[in-house]
Amino acid sequence: MHKRRATLAAAVAAVALVATGCSGAGGDEGDDNTLTLWHFEGENSAMGIAWDRAIEIFEEETGATVEFEAKGFEQIRSTASQVLNSDEAPDILEYAKGNGTAGLLASQGLLTDITEAVEEHGWDDKLAPALQTTARYNEDGVMGSGAWYGVPNYGEYVTVYYNKDAFAAQGLEVPTTYEEFEAVLDSFVDAGITPLAQAGQEYPLGQLFYQLALMEADRQWVNDYQLYEGEVDFHDEAFTTAAETLVEYVDKGYLSQNASGLKAEDAGVSFINGSAPIFVSGSWWYGRFLDEATSFEWGIFEFPGSELNLGSAGNMWVVPVNAGNPELAYEFIDITLRPEIQALLGNSGGLPVAADIADITDEKSQELIEGFNAINERDGLAFYPDWPTPTFYDTLVAELQQLINKTKSPDEVLTSLEEEYESYAADFR
Amino acid sequence: MSALTNAPAGAVPTGEPAPKRRNRRRRRPADWVILALAIVFGVLIAFPFLLIVINSFKSPADYATGGPLALPTELYFDGLVNFWERVNFPEKLWNSIYTSGLVALFAVVISVLNAFAIGIGRVRGRTWIIVLFLLANMLPQEALLYPLYYMFKEVGLYNTTWAIIIIFTVIQSAFGTYLLASVYGTFPKEVLEAAALDGANRWQILWRVVVPISRPTLSVLLIFFFIWTWNEFLIPLTFLVSNDNQTVPVAISVLQGDRLMDVTTTSASALLGVIPTLIFFFIFQRTLTRGITAGAVK
Repeated sequence: MHKRRATLAAAVAAVALVATGCSGAGGDEGDDNTLTLWHFEGENSAMGIAWDRAIEIFEEETGATVEFEAKGFEQIRSTASQVLNSDEAPDILEYAKGNGTAGLLASQGLLTDITEAVEEHGWDDKLAPALQTTARYNEDGVMGSGAWYGVPNYGEYVTVYYNKDAFAAQGLEVPTTYEEFEAVLDSFVDAGITPLAQAGQEYPLGQLFYQLALMEADRQWVNDYQLYEGEVDFHDEAFTTAAETLVEYVDKGYLSQNASGLKAEDAGVSFINGSAPIFVSGSWWYGRFLDEATSFEWGIFEFPGSELNLGSAGNMWVVPVNAGNPELAYEFIDITLRPEIQALLGNSGGLPVAADIADITDEKSQELIEGFNAINERDGLAFYPDWPTPTFYDTLVAELQQLINKTKSPDEVLTSLEEEYESYAADFR
Repeated sequence: MSALTNAPAGAVPTGEPAPKRRNRRRRRPADWVILALAIVFGVLIAFPFLLIVINSFKSPADYATGGPLALPTELYFDGLVNFWERVNFPEKLWNSIYTSGLVALFAVVISVLNAFAIGIGRVRGRTWIIVLFLLANMLPQEALLYPLYYMFKEVGLYNTTWAIIIIFTVIQSAFGTYLLASVYGTFPKEVLEAAALDGANRWQILWRVVVPISRPTLSVLLIFFFIWTWNEFLIPLTFLVSNDNQTVPVAISVLQGDRLMDVTTTSASALLGVIPTLIFFFIFQRTLTRGITAGAVK
């Protein structure tokens, strides 16, 4: 008897538990007039500022309320497939672009095909072709073609940051050809300065490698490599020159061999504190340099001698299939693409995708946005080297570290890269 | 290494006369060497924590110019304040205390009940039962993630703190059962027999005899369960979707950006995350040492 009563009590307790849990979960359900929105940009970042304003405008115009939750990048990236598959999915969220992220979710049927909304609002006319690449995915989740699944708001590209004071001290001009660029590097080496900030443990070294390869490449080469349109030969002129040039950079002292053990943060800091006068890296550093690199004058110039540059649209708005209010989400996206919001994004140090340069009042920002627009005008965005396979980033980092440590020859490194690339990409051709 | 092995040899009194009073022994060079080594080890262990403290009070510009090792040029509290406000820290703190506290309590009670049956009741096949329990601890959490996700979604507990409380109660009590069962396995039979002779039933034996005697061990378990649950990251990250349910370690991950990291704010957040466990540890520090020595004597 005793036992039975105890079991009964336990069962009642369990049911009560579940019931309270249910009502807790049910309480989060949004009604028709709420837009649940998640993004992972810092409060004071350009995107954070611009989107705060967009939320205000949205609430004024539609009368709906926005329930905003600040998330971390890692948080959204590692839990998205579970959250979006449940009732807890937000109406709109910022999500990482690319085959392994947005593409994967799209192919799993977790993201809404928003092609109709794109055409209705004319968002496709506002975005340059290379910026559209990361917003569209086919049924395998491969970017570049197929339906629209997201809308980017900001862009990013890799450029060359340089320390104006250090250039002036050596009597150097901004290089306009690759030969001049090497001459600049030589002058710094002669003066006993290692010119390039580099980091082999993370993305910067791979990006420099890809940038060097792009000097010999054209648009079709990029499409073959990134969108699996054709065969990729890792022993072609572009890749071979890039690998050999990197080794040369080490031999000539353009970059320190010790860089193979450094992280991107270290490289950025070495530019900020003035110890390295040149840093080939992305626009995502721009705002930080504005704030922190204040002890000297600095500027940017395009990597000389290349028609193609690393860069792409930034992370984008996506609408989950389980979103309660997709219509409100489209309204919100439309507001974020308005010239007013785009200009605010630009003036706050970000890189808008659809801004009129005349609206940009901040001089420093103008420099950055003009650089981006110039690349887009010649359709020069070539994306990033680690995109083609989900594990290519780690391979690239490891192989290039061995390249500059001289534990592997350029030929061996390229062969390893090719094996890794082919094992994944062959299925998509 | 050589200093370490030499030290005990030097500590043995060779030709010297025995000191008159034991508590006023003179310090020999070997003692100083050991002390120095202990200090070095102490600093090594505390080093990551010291780095966090130093960088929490630096401005980003200060960090960029001086690097991670330099002392801050001036105290800068914006990092701490920013993080506090951005994630609404008191709310996260309460979530962590509430989930960890309940888990610690539930897990200890369940461990005691299980261990009483297995260790003292000596049910048949107890070794296999314990092996089964240990599976919960030995399986990597990544493997548990998806099955748990589907289970909790089905019963409607996804995105509630109860999901975390139930999961960690099970995981922690699995370990607790394993440990307590072996402690209770060596429980003096005479005590149990004496209690039975006095007319106590099983329930009374458990609560009036076994639990009071093993209290020190139980307190240690309680504290460990609390701290372990507090530091859990992966499962809370997956199950606590809404910001108002999240725990401190999950809140810290909000600062992780796509490409950039803000070292000083991240340090500040780590500092804020560590402080509560430190305070908890200092409060219960005596219980901990007492519990461990109690176990050792037995």
